[in-house]
Amino acid sequence: MVKVTVDGIVVDVPPGSNVLQACEAAGKEVPRFCYHERLSVAGNCRMCLVEIEKAPPKPFASCAYPVNEGMVVHTDTPMVKKGRAGVMEFLLINHPLDCPICDQGGECDLQDQAVGYGRDSSRYTEAKRAVKDKDLGPLVKTVMTRCIQCTRCIRFSAEVAGTPELGATARGETMEVGTYVQKALTSELSGNLIDICPVGALTSKPYAFVARPWELKKTDSIDVLDAVGTNIRIDARGPEVLRVLPRLNEDVNEEWLADKGRFAIDGLKRRRLDSVWVKRDGKLQKAAWTDAFEAIDAKLKGVSGDRIGAIAGDLADAESMLALKELMAALGSANIDCRVDGAAIDASRRDFYTFNTSIAGIEEADAILIIGSNPRREAPLVNARILKRSRAGRLPVAVVGPAADLTYAAQNLGDGPAVLASLIDGTHPFAATLMAASKPMIIVGQGALRRADGAAVLAAAWKLAAEVGALSDTWHGFNMLHTAAARVGGLDLGFVPGKGGKDVGGMLGGGVDVLWLLGADALDTARIGANTFVIYQGHHGDAGAARADVILPGAAYTEKDGTYVNTEGRVQRGQRAIYPPGEAREDWKILRAFSGYTGKPLPYDTIEALRARLEAVNPVFARLDILPRFGCTDATGPAEAGAISGAPFVEAVPNYYQTDPISRASPTMAECTATYVAPIQAAAE
Amino acid sequence: MAFLDRTARTFLLAELASGMALTLRYFFKRKVTINYPYEKGPISPRFKGEHALRRYPNGEERCIACKLCEAVCPAQAITIEAEPRDDGSRRTTRYDIDMTKCIYCGLCEEACPVDAIVEGPNFEFATETREELMYNKDKLLANGDRWEPEIARRLELDAPYR
Amino acid sequence: MVDMVLEFLKTPFGILVLTVIKALALLVPLLIGVAYLTYAERKVLGAMQLRKGPNVVGPFGLFQPFADAIKMIFKETVIPSGASPALFLMAPMLTFGLAMIAWAVIPVNDGWAIADINVGVLYLFAISSLGVYGVIIAGWASNSKYAFLGALRSAAQMVSYEVSMGFIMVTVLVCAGSLNLTAIVNAQKTVWFAIPLFPMFIMFFISTLAETNRSPFDIPEGESEIVAGFFVEYSSMSFALFFLGEYANMILMSSMTTILFLGGWLAPFQGTIAGELFMLIPGPIWFILKVCMILFCFLWVRATFPRYRYDQLMRLGWKVFLPFSLFYLVLVAGVLVFMGWLPHAA
Repeated sequence: MVKVTVDGIVVDVPPGSNVLQACEAAGKEVPRFCYHERLSVAGNCRMCLVEIEKAPPKPFASCAYPVNEGMVVHTDTPMVKKGRAGVMEFLLINHPLDCPICDQGGECDLQDQAVGYGRDSSRYTEAKRAVKDKDLGPLVKTVMTRCIQCTRCIRFSAEVAGTPELGATARGETMEVGTYVQKALTSELSGNLIDICPVGALTSKPYAFVARPWELKKTDSIDVLDAVGTNIRIDARGPEVLRVLPRLNEDVNEEWLADKGRFAIDGLKRRRLDSVWVKRDGKLQKAAWTDAFEAIDAKLKGVSGDRIGAIAGDLADAESMLALKELMAALGSANIDCRVDGAAIDASRRDFYTFNTSIAGIEEADAILIIGSNPRREAPLVNARILKRSRAGRLPVAVVGPAADLTYAAQNLGDGPAVLASLIDGTHPFAATLMAASKPMIIVGQGALRRADGAAVLAAAWKLAAEVGALSDTWHGFNMLHTAAARVGGLDLGFVPGKGGKDVGGMLGGGVDVLWLLGADALDTARIGANTFVIYQGHHGDAGAARADVILPGAAYTEKDGTYVNTEGRVQRGQRAIYPPGEAREDWKILRAFSGYTGKPLPYDTIEALRARLEAVNPVFARLDILPRFGCTDATGPAEAGAISGAPFVEAVPNYYQTDPISRASPTMAECTATYVAPIQAAAE
Repeated sequence: MAFLDRTARTFLLAELASGMALTLRYFFKRKVTINYPYEKGPISPRFKGEHALRRYPNGEERCIACKLCEAVCPAQAITIEAEPRDDGSRRTTRYDIDMTKCIYCGLCEEACPVDAIVEGPNFEFATETREELMYNKDKLLANGDRWEPEIARRLELDAPYR
Repeated sequence: MVDMVLEFLKTPFGILVLTVIKALALLVPLLIGVAYLTYAERKVLGAMQLRKGPNVVGPFGLFQPFADAIKMIFKETVIPSGASPALFLMAPMLTFGLAMIAWAVIPVNDGWAIADINVGVLYLFAISSLGVYGVIIAGWASNSKYAFLGALRSAAQMVSYEVSMGFIMVTVLVCAGSLNLTAIVNAQKTVWFAIPLFPMFIMFFISTLAETNRSPFDIPEGESEIVAGFFVEYSSMSFALFFLGEYANMILMSSMTTILFLGGWLAPFQGTIAGELFMLIPGPIWFILKVCMILFCFLWVRATFPRYRYDQLMRLGWKVFLPFSLFYLVLVAGVLVFMGWLPHAA
């Protein structure tokens, strides 16, 4: 450790730190624009000036100056203040000062720091620079005249997003940030550019001019549009969710948020189920809650338990899944399943279906094999972690599956599971790489499991992990990457067929007479038996609702307190930001109400009681937010079933922007699909 | 002697008499009453009356939906909603002032960076129903159009002191 | 025809009819006078505060009292919950009734009194003392703390000032030698009592201010302390009755002052040439002019002096007026006896 004195406060900082970090450690705030903890140091804004004793008598840019033992730093001398004021004045020379019409107003670094270091009026009377705005696609709006050329966006797109599409052209006053040729940003993390831009040059296009930060009610929640479990803050005004921002969680999302989670929220206002519908005379008609309950109850009366089934969808919270599970048990049914897509996940042991290495653990890995997954589309933040690890040093990555640009170098070993055999027996060259690695990772995606031979692929992947030494006492290198936020929670609380129960495949095609869909839309509704009575409980009029005989309007994730388990198995809770629209209610309450109506009341009346029950069902639900890392204690793999076919893996997420009812209802996501996915699909055909 | 003097004054009610003489003098003075609806008193250029939204001389509305007036309003009488207009500029889709909440403090006028919302010289806008006092954007813009010459003149007069 | 009417008027029923006609002849102008007293009050106060006062309703605002009356009539009579309704409604009627009854003995000209009784002064004194009841009942029946406080203050104040008023009247009676009001006026043919009894005149005037709860002794109403005092809960006609009663009382007290000290209907300067000319003007006009002058003083005082504090009011009544009037009574009686000027000395 290096001893540094900042304004008389002695702090110890790791060697290699810069002066700015030392100042932060001493609790001294240093203004900055270009410096960002997670990006490389550029040192071009010059705002972070400090004075250093026994050094040349000039202000130093603290972000770009390394600490030395015994260094004495001053952050509030007249020289520092004058220097910073001068820098601020220069920055403001070409800044348009259009704060009143700028969306960054109220949460702008430049605005805040100008209060501290700016003059009350401008001395500059010459013409100001004006820069043509760039079109960066449907998500990021640019007002390039406001740019102060901190280059954070350029460094972010190259270093974190892995899509080096932004750059600076020209020098000095004519320097402009932009894509070199006009194009839309292709990153799934482009929304973070809005957050890191210290001024209003990059702002959110869908949120443009909508609200001011001080009007918004801020609620902590969890993103459910992928399985990463990104910690988010929901900003709502009145009955509307206006934007979603990431919260800091070093173990999950650092401070980033994928575009779907950030921008799909306008889907929460469209195609909503806000009233109860019951099918009468072949047509769905608006009805009261009691009418719907009566219709369901009448139907259930004449049906034996084994002809009733329930499927939980991708966005369901653990509480409502548990309530549904126990309602089905009360009705005498073991036909429940949460694997809507029919993926062959073995729920018998927790490490068979979680991302055991953990997302933060990726940074320790030294070889990665991805089987049947495109993490860039399925979990952009997992992909960003792999990129971060990849940039840190030699990391061999190989992919078994369709060729894709993962933003880092990845060797493609073939597009189907055929190559697994040669990897397991060690004849494949990459097997040696995995063997040589001390902490190898195997990531199995949903694309590998949603097939007839999914169970066999899963077994093979586990076997491979065992073979290459990924399953040790201290390191668990077997990882399953989920795409649905509800999945791990459902598996944890046992929302899988009970003894003699039917799975999703069994329930479809007339396997049951009454089918309760809890927001399950990701299944082929055409396969539901023609005579099956379908109850759809959910928040969007999507595939499931179209087939339903009774529609019970539920709450979306912003409208209920819910527990979600991410792909790592991390239990996290989101809070309600707004109330559900119209007649819609929180899902567990609907199930509790129906259980009372049908005479088999569930034993909980409050969410606290339900959560206590959740903890009783599986103790992992008591472990909020923290995820202890376990090594692998039992290398026995899932049961092998059948042979592996040679068919190539298909992508689990063909269109990143539209994967669930919310994003399918979102105009912004539709625009993204039109911009990013349609041209590629058109080219492929 | 002073005692005698004081006692004499007390018993002769000198103070009461002088007080009554004063009021009697005022009784005959010229009256200052203004015959209000027909005559009006002078109003300061800083008078804070009925609100108006102004336009630029080319007819473009000034308000840019920065929401500073909404934020500064101590009575929370202002409600603004905004979105990009077709030409991409920042404009309000809704600008409501609840005149029954408004306390006529003039902070909205102070906060406005483009002199869009102003409190004009009009103080005679009594209505028969409360609903009529829920001003919307159309009403405020109409006010602006109606009072613009006076508002502009008053802003000009007050400008040297800002 | 005329004989028949005169004949009829001598029957008992005819006397009753005649009395009613006489009463109306007195009360209707009185009530109009009350109405215009409110108008005059607002005009005078306005003028002394450099305002114009009411000037919108009719020429110079002359119809203002009628506008106010119409407004009053059409308002709702609110009886507070918890109030005693019968008493609550009785109080204003009592106040108003008493203010009217007192006028029975007031002579506006020689012999022009409805009841020219020989104990007129006692009658007046009795009736004005009963006025306290209206106030007390109103304050109590309202079931309101402000009204109750106002009533208590009012009662205490009226009782206190009646004592010294009594002594002042006795002084006058000693000089006049009669309790009959006409006789008292006629006793002033040579000189108005205001001149020899000037200090008594001033004290009597001040006491009438207190007796009628007028500023600066308006603490029973005391807007700034107890809202409106004993009639805080009254509205509409019940309030109007209080209002009429109060103002009728003001006129009554002015009339008493006129009768006791200013020679009633007698023209001034009798015995001089000017006096002879003034004699041409009928007595009632003189009476009205004198009453108006006193009323103007009521308003003038209101425009000039701030309200007394309660303890100051009591101190003035008991410790200044009472000893002073007692002293003056003894002095006057002594002078009269010593000089042999006592009327009806035989």
